[in-house]
Amino acid sequence: MTVEKLVEEQVQELDAQVQRESGRRSRRSFLTAAVAAAGGYGFYRWIDRSPGDQLIPRPLRKALNLNEAVTRTVFDERGLAPTYSLAKAEELRVNGIYGLKEELVPESYRLQMVGVEQANKFPQYVSDVTAWEYKYAAKKDEGGKDDAASGNHDTKVAPKTEGAATEGASAMKMSPAFEAAFADLKKSQGSKRPRGQEEAGESDNTLDAGTPGLLLKLEDVTRFEHRELVTQFKCIEGWSQVVHWGGVRLADLIAAYPPAKKADGSLPKYVYMETPDGDYYCGYDLNVCMHPQSLLVTEMMGRSLGQWHGAPLRLHMPIKYGYKQIKRIGLIAYTDMLPDDYWTKLGYDWYAGL
Amino acid sequence: MADESLEPNEIGHEKAVGEESMPEESVAAPPRETAAAAELPAPVEAAVAVVPVAFVEAEIVIEPVTASIRLEKKHPLAIRWMHWVNFPVLFTMIWSGLLIYWNDSDNAYQHPHAVYRVGVGSVTLVRLFPEWFWKAINAPYRVTEGLGYHFFFMWLFAMNGLLYVTYLAWSGEWRLMVPDRKSATEAIQVTLVDLHLRKGLPVQKKYNGAQKIAYTAVVLMGVGSLVTGLSIYKPTQVHWVTTLLGGYEMARWEHFWLTIGFCGFFVVHVVQVMMAGWNNFRAMVTGYEIKKVDEPSIEAERRTW
Repeated sequence: MTVEKLVEEQVQELDAQVQRESGRRSRRSFLTAAVAAAGGYGFYRWIDRSPGDQLIPRPLRKALNLNEAVTRTVFDERGLAPTYSLAKAEELRVNGIYGLKEELVPESYRLQMVGVEQANKFPQYVSDVTAWEYKYAAKKDEGGKDDAASGNHDTKVAPKTEGAATEGASAMKMSPAFEAAFADLKKSQGSKRPRGQEEAGESDNTLDAGTPGLLLKLEDVTRFEHRELVTQFKCIEGWSQVVHWGGVRLADLIAAYPPAKKADGSLPKYVYMETPDGDYYCGYDLNVCMHPQSLLVTEMMGRSLGQWHGAPLRLHMPIKYGYKQIKRIGLIAYTDMLPDDYWTKLGYDWYAGL
Repeated sequence: MADESLEPNEIGHEKAVGEESMPEESVAAPPRETAAAAELPAPVEAAVAVVPVAFVEAEIVIEPVTASIRLEKKHPLAIRWMHWVNFPVLFTMIWSGLLIYWNDSDNAYQHPHAVYRVGVGSVTLVRLFPEWFWKAINAPYRVTEGLGYHFFFMWLFAMNGLLYVTYLAWSGEWRLMVPDRKSATEAIQVTLVDLHLRKGLPVQKKYNGAQKIAYTAVVLMGVGSLVTGLSIYKPTQVHWVTTLLGGYEMARWEHFWLTIGFCGFFVVHVVQVMMAGWNNFRAMVTGYEIKKVDEPSIEAERRTW
């Protein structure tokens, strides 16, 4: 046997040893990798198949809540949103018309306030705010046409015009005798149009009949110092627009009609708002409502609000996404329980802080 | 993945006399035997087989018999784990991001979004993405799912990325990855070779110039995604960051194109890995690569720190 051959054999043997060692390591590593991959997939499955919490898997809801806690700790929502020059402002697009589909008769507008400290001392006090009847104008011919066709509201969701408007409309058109009879009938039925007619359904915070509170006229709200803001409105869909807003600070209203203190002297934690028909509703932290840029808006771009933007009174809150900036506010209630929220019920974050 | 408690020595190197002090340059293939070796008497052959060490007899030099290949530690355990954790996590971020972004491109006929288009000046070539794309990936009306996953997995993405960068800094591995002055030239050479426009790769270290630039860039892109993401997520609370990035819409634009960048990186990366072959791919799982003994050693590269 030649030396070359011998050496070659030895080299081959040594190489085989290296290959065997490599194979041994590979088997172990790929086994670990397979277990890790299975674990990762299991983790995904666990999230995806978890029972839902307001339409998203519970772990995702928990993550949103964790993010909320982190954001509160880190930022405390003290920050002020940047403001812009008036030249940058533009017409806000209409996106979502829940609670607005019928045209409210301006004279019938009242802002209900519930949970106000010593409410019965105010002249606007009533023993049952839910008894107030909002009046709606008769439906226009092809109501949606002028607005929808001109791009004034979002056609992603077709407005539910049928049925919804009939009650308000009929109240305006019936003969007095029939109207009286119809009013008696409605009274016997206990309630007017069913509340919460949109996808998220009725709010858990819908007031029980017989809830006492204040019925404020628009003048009671607009009497506070007029403020203007040019800030960016941000929709969770992704788009944003700089808008010129005019109105009064929500904080001024709250200062004038403060929340009733609890037994231990502390304030309730939350504020709940909804449209007069209860179709759209939002919950807020009290401190967010006290933010200096939280505005009760009566004017946009220097003109009074139109129907699709929530006339006569809407909210602008630059530290929250648009879905918290409720239009046509019918009720402001102080509460210590986490209030229901339209889009939270449909899977979005309750906090929605920017 | 591989057990780290094993001997750190490179498997396959039989202990050869003087190997430890051998300068790196001399690793280059020595002749395996001298011409005279063939005339060796039989007992000596046996001795070689049993004791494969260098020895001198009658002025005939016999090199130690070593394997022609060795196992070399290429990727540390931490890097392998973080690399593979990042893969599904980044995938989830991109996927959930698409679910969210669909909501803005929806009804674009009515409110064309200004942000994600490809065009010059006022001429738009394409708006991202066309309707068929959304349908094909089954994105429509899954926004809340997208938001939920995005704002859950952002923590995993951020923590994994932070750990990765910390590990690179702590271990010194960054020195094998961060481009140096030669990297740009080398990257051009490598690219030309890949495109079959040039022959002869530069001496391959752990990463070539193109790899160094690509891997460092993708880490920076990860940082960019986190910063732009934060500035979109909390544009009021960190509005100074948002402003620095050019405003809310600009930050969204940056976030979006960074994502497209990740997708581009992914395609090139996967193609390159497939072309590099199994040995290279396996190293990202096991940590070890089989190398010819005369190939430059990554361990040697590490020792130059």
